[in-house]
Amino acid sequence: MNTPDEDKVFEKSAKAMFDDSVERLDAATLSKLNQGRQAALAEMASASPSGQWSRWMPATGMAAAALVAVVVLRGPAPVDPLDGTNSTVTDFEILMSDDALDMIEELEFYTWIDVAEFESTDNAG
Amino acid sequence: MNACAGVFAVSCSGEQTTGAQALQRERQLNQFLAEVERRALRIAEIGVRDRDEALDLVQNAMIKLARNYVDRPTAEWTPLFYRILQNGIRDWHRRQNVRNRVMVFFGRGSHEDSDYDPIAAAPDPAGRAPDEQLQTQQAMGELELAVAVLPTRQREAFMLRTFEGLDVAGTAAAMGCSAGSVKTHYSRAVHTLREKLGEHWQ
Repeated sequence: MNTPDEDKVFEKSAKAMFDDSVERLDAATLSKLNQGRQAALAEMASASPSGQWSRWMPATGMAAAALVAVVVLRGPAPVDPLDGTNSTVTDFEILMSDDALDMIEELEFYTWIDVAEFESTDNAG
Repeated sequence: MNACAGVFAVSCSGEQTTGAQALQRERQLNQFLAEVERRALRIAEIGVRDRDEALDLVQNAMIKLARNYVDRPTAEWTPLFYRILQNGIRDWHRRQNVRNRVMVFFGRGSHEDSDYDPIAAAPDPAGRAPDEQLQTQQAMGELELAVAVLPTRQREAFMLRTFEGLDVAGTAAAMGCSAGSVKTHYSRAVHTLREKLGEHWQ
């Protein structure tokens, strides 16, 4: 039966032997350990997604703030209903509407109405 | 304009703080690993009885700690690191068992015990009389062999408590078991080792 005191002596001896073997590790082994540690530190620097996000977060925030500032200061482009520069969009919308397609399909009818109106006006005049 | 300048100042200040914190964390991790790596190597070496394999296991444990747990409080790093390392050692033994079974099946059984010489594998001696060196190395070789053949949990408990100096709670965290189990495994390990090693350690 081991007594607690004897166990303590044994533990102390074992620890001393172990520490001694640690102290006597050769240079090549210590160098490999150092390389392993550097690899771990490199991993820490490169593989932490939260770290990368927090690193870029200030720049991202600033870019977003700048974009908002530009939009607020400039505002939307003024639209003049009489301005011919917006006519491209307007024409396009008209062409794409169903009504416009009807007009194209019945082009001869509208041409006849136009001629008839012109002639009636001319006759009246 | 002033608002933009304010935003810029806050952003730069935040970036500097984050960078400083990351640098501080890296220094802490470097210090921790430098402090623990040599004992960890010897513990792994006793566990797998091969220095090159032990080096690989220690490096893997370092990388996993750096990758997954570096944000945890530094007080938790030691049990976390040894838990990773002990898991690595256990996995290594599982792989070895499978490999040995396959080799035995094909008639090429492993003789890992026969070619391991703990005295030859002991580190280079330094600064003592040859008799004393030899005696110390022989004693350590015997201890290593006796520890290596302990049941896994007893071996882990003994190495973490005696060699690494972890307390019961830290050992329990590293082994992933209760404090009571650690005490039981440790007590049995000490009892077995003292019986095996006999007069060298009385």
